[in-house]
Amino acid sequence: MKKFLGACCVLVLSALPMFADEISSAELLKQIQSLQQQMTQMKQDYDAKITTLNGRIAELENAGKAEAAKATAETKPATADSVSPETKAATVSQVDTLDDSFSDDDLYSKMNNRLGNIIPKLNQQGVQLGISSIIDTNFHHDTAKDGIGEMKGGIAGFGHHHHEGDDGHHHHHHGDKNGFNLRHIELGLTADVDPYFRGWTTLAFEDGEGTEIEEAVIQTTNLPYGLTLGAGKFMSGIGRINRQHSHTWDFMDTPLVYEKLLGGHGLRGKGIQLTWKAPTPFYLLFGAEIANGDNELFANHIGGDHLPDHDDPRLYTGFVKFSPELGDRHALQMGLSYARARHQSLHEHDHGGVLEIEALDGYNTLYGADVVYKYAGYGEKGEGDIILQGEYFFRDSDMRNHEEHESFSNRQDGYYIQALYGIAPRWRAGVRWEQVGLVNHVENHEDGDRDLGSSNRATAMIDWKLSEFSMLRLQVGRHNYAMAGGREHAWEFGIQLQISLGSHPAHDF
Amino acid sequence: MNKKTYIIVIQLVLGLAVFGAPINIITTTTDLASIASDIAGDLAVVESIASGHEDPHDLTARPSFITKASKADLWIRVGLELEVGWEPAVLRDSRNRGIQVGTSGHLDVSEKIAPLDVPTGQFSRADGDIHPSGNPHYWVDPLNGRIIAKSIAVRLIQLYPEHKDKIQGNLKAFEQKLDTKMFGTKLLSKVSGARLWWLSENGQLDDYLAKNNLTPDPDSWYAWMMPYKNAKIATYHRSWIYLLKRFNLKLAGEIEPKPGVPPSARHLTKISRNFKESGVKVILQEPFYNTKAAKKVSQACGATVVVKANCTNGADGIDDYITMLDSVLAGLRDALARK
Repeated sequence: MKKFLGACCVLVLSALPMFADEISSAELLKQIQSLQQQMTQMKQDYDAKITTLNGRIAELENAGKAEAAKATAETKPATADSVSPETKAATVSQVDTLDDSFSDDDLYSKMNNRLGNIIPKLNQQGVQLGISSIIDTNFHHDTAKDGIGEMKGGIAGFGHHHHEGDDGHHHHHHGDKNGFNLRHIELGLTADVDPYFRGWTTLAFEDGEGTEIEEAVIQTTNLPYGLTLGAGKFMSGIGRINRQHSHTWDFMDTPLVYEKLLGGHGLRGKGIQLTWKAPTPFYLLFGAEIANGDNELFANHIGGDHLPDHDDPRLYTGFVKFSPELGDRHALQMGLSYARARHQSLHEHDHGGVLEIEALDGYNTLYGADVVYKYAGYGEKGEGDIILQGEYFFRDSDMRNHEEHESFSNRQDGYYIQALYGIAPRWRAGVRWEQVGLVNHVENHEDGDRDLGSSNRATAMIDWKLSEFSMLRLQVGRHNYAMAGGREHAWEFGIQLQISLGSHPAHDF
Repeated sequence: MNKKTYIIVIQLVLGLAVFGAPINIITTTTDLASIASDIAGDLAVVESIASGHEDPHDLTARPSFITKASKADLWIRVGLELEVGWEPAVLRDSRNRGIQVGTSGHLDVSEKIAPLDVPTGQFSRADGDIHPSGNPHYWVDPLNGRIIAKSIAVRLIQLYPEHKDKIQGNLKAFEQKLDTKMFGTKLLSKVSGARLWWLSENGQLDDYLAKNNLTPDPDSWYAWMMPYKNAKIATYHRSWIYLLKRFNLKLAGEIEPKPGVPPSARHLTKISRNFKESGVKVILQEPFYNTKAAKKVSQACGATVVVKANCTNGADGIDDYITMLDSVLAGLRDALARK
């Protein structure tokens, strides 16, 4: 150390200008270089000495402790916490010889002993409750006369119903109003329950509309042969978008075909679901559901003075999903769906001040096909990824006027196709084309059989996932609808900001 | 169709395991698959979920993953939340009761790894993509590869005790292969690999070698990196710290301002200056990140950009775990030698 300080003094002094005047600059440079070398050498020596000293101190301090720790390790080899850092230092200094008694097992057990102090105990899956919440807000502007919600409600043949169902839930128009909108706040809880069940609930809080249970599912985890049984309130497995929560949609809104045939929330309800994953070398899933009919457009129950009472359950579905093996970058999934439900509807007609009630009772049947293809690009964070997706639904509504036994039968369909492309890391651009009413047969005793024509919508969007937990989206839509009074057009524009709080989500396909 | 083919067809269709069928091991990443197939040898068919080309953190759960998971006898993951965005969905939908978290068919190899970057004190998602249990890119340290191999061997022996000798033999062979790459046969003939690793882990290997007048074989990884002790390396993502620590290289910083956050032009200017001042020699990054930022910084600070896959199959010719490490270390050596 003294030598080191001395060297420093010499260096400082030699650098002083008065000394520099007396010796040539080349000599000075040489002198400095040699001094620097000396210093480096000294520092290395010094470091080496300290390392050795530290080792010796640890050795002395822990000569006894090491023995004790060895005994503990022998009785409890898996407990890493029992070895203190000091004993580790001791074992380190012990190996400073060339004898070859240090085996692979020694290495692994010593490495293992280091873990106790570092690893936080995070293996708590099944105990931890996953909590997540979605905040979904947007600015919306459209050019429709009475708002885009009202305009959608007037699409010919897909008219809405101003009635309360037997659950007292009054249907409100979906679709955003001009200005700022706070869409529902979603709160999700999920956990493994015990060795037999997992469960999750999704609650939706709507501003001024109260709370709705979107899902409350109890699902088996332990059935053999690839079977899973679910119970509670769930989103039906039919179609593709039907079982997706709104925050996972690729566009701001649900496709028209869903909204017009099944309602803004899709098909969901209280019941049971059985699915079977076939043990095939490709992905093959079969599912069947029995549920109360809680859907105003597809499986409604009114009863009361005008219609007969039917017991629940009234809704039956079946679906199959198939996905071939296409290698590392491609994924394709196709699905077929079927649903049938006992359905009632009540229409009020104003005939010159006389209120005429049309009470219908019958069956709705739905056939659907869906396909999605995903390509994983070579870029970072979704750059170059492609998603192509489409769904088609056909609804056959076979209703009767309950008192007069007149037939009211509607056959209607709709589809959407969409394409998304990852234009840059975290950025996607997408387009969607949709039509409803390619088949729009509405038949009743007054007007006979009519085809009311088709409506369409074209939408483009661009979204930016800033992180896995936040997203900004811009969307423009052009509506072109066949209404009761002729065709109507409207533009729609939206900016959406969506964030998720809480658990890191695990995304489904 | 005779009876025999009929039975085979039935077996294919149902995908049932027949007597004597190989063990089905599914790993989340290609490096785990490479190590697992070395350890299991001909006892198992090993497949990886990730292909090696992509960031394993950003995979999307696909139906084919579910198919793979449902037939697995043993599922091996990296852990430390690397697969958190897709593994839970795949395990759930696989309906394979034997590989769920906590079962003997589910192996998290991070359990025996001493993690780096375990956050202490207050942290939040405002800090970017944080991993509360530590940095998950630990497999790029060859000693951790050795520990992964051991963990896999231990679990396989636990599940298939009848194959104990074979598995132990395979483990030994893997250890020897890795140790030879790291230190060379000559050094290993004098000191056991285990001791060398342990000395390296404790930062005493250089002193030990000097004291005992030993040197690693010239064509070993350790010898490649020895002349560049404390050389300053920058990385794109904080994904190479385990490798740099093993080879006594200094991490000068990352191009990403925070994990998972893309750098702004202003940030690039700032770090270019920093890197130049601190004398960064190499910028190391994976091929799945865009090299634009690294090239820009390297032009400003004079460092060499080294693009190397940190996953098996992440680039052409990178067919297994040891080749992956070999390629990364050779790339670093060549770039460092250029100065």
